[in-house]
Amino acid sequence: MKKRGVGIGCMWYGIGNTGLPNPAGAFVDWKDDATVSLMVGAADIGQGSNTVLAQIVAEELGVGYEDVLVTSADTGVTPDGGATSASRQTYISGNAAHLAAQEAKKVVLEEAKEMFGVEKNQVIIRDRRVFVKGQEENYKSLEEVIGGCRRKGKMTIGHGWFNPDTTGLDGETGAGSPYDTYAFATQIVEVEVDTETGQVEVLQIIAAHDVGRAINPLQVEGQIEGGSTMGLGLALYEEVKVLDGKIKTPSFATYLIPTSMDVPTMHPLIVEEPAESGPFGAKGVGEPALIPTSAAIANAVFNAVGIRITELPITPEKVLDQLAENQ
Amino acid sequence: MDVPWKKPGAKLPVLEGDKNMSKQTINFMLNSQKVSAQVESDSRLVDFLHEMGLTGTKLGCGEGDCGACTVIIDGQTANSCLVLAPQIDGKEVTTIEGLGSYEQLHPLQEAFIEEGAVQCGFCTPGMLLSAKALLDENSNPKREEIIRSISGNLCRCTGYTKIANAIEKVVRSKS
Repeated sequence: MKKRGVGIGCMWYGIGNTGLPNPAGAFVDWKDDATVSLMVGAADIGQGSNTVLAQIVAEELGVGYEDVLVTSADTGVTPDGGATSASRQTYISGNAAHLAAQEAKKVVLEEAKEMFGVEKNQVIIRDRRVFVKGQEENYKSLEEVIGGCRRKGKMTIGHGWFNPDTTGLDGETGAGSPYDTYAFATQIVEVEVDTETGQVEVLQIIAAHDVGRAINPLQVEGQIEGGSTMGLGLALYEEVKVLDGKIKTPSFATYLIPTSMDVPTMHPLIVEEPAESGPFGAKGVGEPALIPTSAAIANAVFNAVGIRITELPITPEKVLDQLAENQ
Repeated sequence: MDVPWKKPGAKLPVLEGDKNMSKQTINFMLNSQKVSAQVESDSRLVDFLHEMGLTGTKLGCGEGDCGACTVIIDGQTANSCLVLAPQIDGKEVTTIEGLGSYEQLHPLQEAFIEEGAVQCGFCTPGMLLSAKALLDENSNPKREEIIRSISGNLCRCTGYTKIANAIEKVVRSKS
């Protein structure tokens, strides 16, 4: 018989390295043609940090995303960005890039202030145009203002670095403030358990993630879907089996990860509760996406057939054993 | 596992006297171009492609499980790590280099970009070729058929949803 159940898993996750300094840096060079060279140490391994960092800089400088040329993870020229780990690059390298952009922007705002004869906080830069608040039609092009800087010998460059505000953990009590900001998530999963075979099939995953601010919603969805799929693999298939010091599951034929056929309907939900310390309010989502999934699946299995499996993966053998015990 | 002959481009040690014996000439179509080449009898298609400078075909597991090295041979997808180069004699091979160019992307490539179907990108060439093989055979597949068509291509980043969405988008735009 096939029985359905629903389960919930919740998590919170500290962004960045635990109780340790983990800074990242960035350089911005705003060129004569108003395009921007952004140099960051952050390694984009597919999560999209190059895209997100370019967006942050473009937003701050009032230029297009395509105006920002990113050089990343080149130890010959880029400042240290720390590891692409701990779901930290959008938050930490993002802050560094934001600060670098702000520093370069100051020079341009100063020049614009003189050109327009107004206070600096009256100047707005948007869509490659510089104008005084409320007088959008009397704009100067960014090239013109940057050109003004050049004629006076002013460089429009900036650097920035960010290190989250943390403390180490007390060796005795474990007390401390190990992270500057936290991500939160709740996932709800629906499963179908075959009581004859012990097979668990996940039918849908609803994943709600507080990411502070989704700089790139499509990428955030991609992180949530991919992370949840890893969580599904952790819950149902993936197991490193070790015998006599040797790994018995060293290949994809023995260590099973989800295929396209195993992935249920996904409902990624982006929750935006801006983090004060994040770039435009952003936090991280990479690892949080996989954390609550296995708990939600285990809870859904309990809801479906009344068994508590506390050791992953939830294999058909374990399900059948426990079902037999319960009878 | 560090097995020397599993590294890309690595060759099995061949005794000097056997060298000529182990070579053979093959003629085949590669991305719509006629190719004639001398290949080692025991060279894998994926290594042969890499030696020809076509590095878009990725070598993942080397055991036929992950699908990163997927190419299309006579309309059928195949793991090029499990095909010997001599086996493509007289056949028609399509690799990712034959799908589109930087100047003019294939509709599938466009859709992958638009739908956010690419993350690290290692599975992408194989995914695209599996999708192409499906659409060449069936221009109006159902969602389940799309998902089945890429089930031999492992992806650890995306969760497959956006990849299936991208393929579906191309189907919808055609129909």
